Amino acid sequence: MSSAFALGRRYLRAAWTPIVLSAVIVITWAIVENAGSVTLEEDVMRLFLWMMLVLAWQLFSGNSGVMSFGHVAFMAAGAYFSALLTMSPTLKETTFADMPQFLASWIRPAELGLFESMLAAGALAALLAAVFGIAVARLAGIAAAIATLAILVIMFTFIVQTPSVTGGSDVLVGVPRETTPGNVAISLVVIIFAVYAFKQSRHGIRLRASRENQEAAQSVAVNVRLERYIAFVIAGVICGVAGALYAHYFSGFAAADFYFELTFIVVAMLVVGGMQSVAGAVVGTYFLTIIYLTARRAEVDGALGIEWPSGTANLLVAIALLLALILRPSGITGGREVPWPGALWRRKGAVAASAAGTVPEEVKEAITAGPSAPEATTRSRPDAPTPTSGESL
Amino acid sequence: MIGAIDLQVGVDAVSFGALFAVMALGLALLFGVMRLMNFAYGELIMVGGYTMYYTRDFGALPMILITIVVVVFVSVLMELIAFRPVRHAAPVTLLITSFAVSFGLQQVAFMTVAKGRQKGVEPYPWLTDQHHIAGLRLSNLDILTLLVAAGLLIGMTLLLKRTTIGIQLRASTEDYQMAQLVGIRGNRVISFAFAITGLLAAAVCILFVLRTGSLSATMGVTPLLIAFVGGAIGGLGSLTGAALGGFTLGVVINSIQSSLPVDLSGYTLMFAFLFVIVVLVIAPSGLLDLTRRVWSAATTRFEVLNRRAA
Repeated sequence: MSSAFALGRRYLRAAWTPIVLSAVIVITWAIVENAGSVTLEEDVMRLFLWMMLVLAWQLFSGNSGVMSFGHVAFMAAGAYFSALLTMSPTLKETTFADMPQFLASWIRPAELGLFESMLAAGALAALLAAVFGIAVARLAGIAAAIATLAILVIMFTFIVQTPSVTGGSDVLVGVPRETTPGNVAISLVVIIFAVYAFKQSRHGIRLRASRENQEAAQSVAVNVRLERYIAFVIAGVICGVAGALYAHYFSGFAAADFYFELTFIVVAMLVVGGMQSVAGAVVGTYFLTIIYLTARRAEVDGALGIEWPSGTANLLVAIALLLALILRPSGITGGREVPWPGALWRRKGAVAASAAGTVPEEVKEAITAGPSAPEATTRSRPDAPTPTSGESL
Repeated sequence: MIGAIDLQVGVDAVSFGALFAVMALGLALLFGVMRLMNFAYGELIMVGGYTMYYTRDFGALPMILITIVVVVFVSVLMELIAFRPVRHAAPVTLLITSFAVSFGLQQVAFMTVAKGRQKGVEPYPWLTDQHHIAGLRLSNLDILTLLVAAGLLIGMTLLLKRTTIGIQLRASTEDYQMAQLVGIRGNRVISFAFAITGLLAAAVCILFVLRTGSLSATMGVTPLLIAFVGGAIGGLGSLTGAALGGFTLGVVINSIQSSLPVDLSGYTLMFAFLFVIVVLVIAPSGLLDLTRRVWSAATTRFEVLNRRAA
């Protein structure tokens, strides 16, 4: 009985971070369902869809340390492809009158449901990411950042310049509105678990090792390119799926929705939250979304008796990102995951005691030095998170 | 007749190439000194554009002078506020910082100067006057662009090769830490580099706005992307490489756009960026460096063969 309890506790502990984060998502969803307010629903949908992107970014950039500016391109591909597959055939007939025959023959009659179109979007995103990933996986640092930026520009230019397939720079309308908060919340929970599982998987650990020290990782036979490639493609798939959900919620969208502004917001959320942890991605998204949408509201309705010019929301995001980079480069969470409550309680106690000055000098040292110091190993449980790493593997 | 048309295309292309070379140079300078890929470079051009708008009635020379002063000031201020606190961070952090600065400045422009109706600077009529020299059409603007670009490139070369601060700047480009160890003041050199970037941005801005005339909060994005591509192709670490890369890109884009059918020319940016990815993979330090290496390898091989023959 007690061993079964211990086993359950172990599993709970292993999945503690995604469980807590999913609970936050489900609570948010429950609030939306009960409030019945259209504007609140729209805001929360924005939050959820942004969060998907931030999680995809965490999976690739957070684990590999290679900054991406390009995954929004895969979202765009997913959005357009899924929209093309679900719009009514008669509408496609008129909107895309001069679509090339080899595409028109199977795209025009297609009338898929949301789930199938999500799969299709994910598949296309995977294909594109698999092609571009070959180049990106070979690069690091600034060169990789430029290459991913190039992907973004390539995709945007392609969409704008190919009106026969995408509608060009115009708003694409008539996509069936099938996404509900429920769909998105469930997808988000799945993605949170998947991203966290990836981080703790052997691939995630190898990738994080290469982030800390590429040469050292290579010297212990980590195939850095391969690991980066895998993460790049998985992140691409998540973005593709997010694109499909985006297209089927807002039902009208344009190429400009998937360009620098969205990339900027997502990168800001990731960095502000702390890019090295899944919890950071979620916290950053909530934090900046609340700031952003409050400011958006103020732009429309006015706040504090002042008319706020449009652009305030984006400016606040830029300022938040700058402040985070200067004052707290590791983000709000500092790269930590959700702490296990027991450990939290223990550490709080220890810090409070040392602050009160009731602890002898060597114990204080032991607390700051962490469990590697000889005294600490006897005093703290070996599985308690160390102050330096802050996360248990 | 065909020869004349080709030459005409060549003149336009060279004029564009010179403009792009100056753009790439401004970006490469900061990348060389502090590994900063400065997104906000485009916003310097935007700031300059709006300065020109508000000073357009003062006459050409005051307008140009005020624009240069304002852009240089904003550039140095940018370094003080945003980039100095994160100077020793990883290049990617610097890139994100510049992304934030760029985006923030765009929003400030949206909220203030770019609000309301579309603004524009009316080009001076004499700029579009054309001369016919040896069967070629040459507008005053083309001549001005070429002169300014040539002047700036020569001026930059002299500044970097002959003056103390220029030599300090190049030393910092080579090895920032070593330069500091031998007594070069990092803050001064970097402020100076930002000032020079501001000067180059102002020059680009003036030539660019006189060509297009229209202003918007995001007007800096296109020149930035061009400089980005040019720099990446030529090799951002080296100033010569970046200038050459920018020049080549300008020439290539201009020749493509005048020879391809109209509906394909829109894809130019796409092909340019595909090319950037290819260059990044096969020659991360730029095509100039690659040619140099290939050349030295070839000459060494040649010498070996010669020696064997002898």
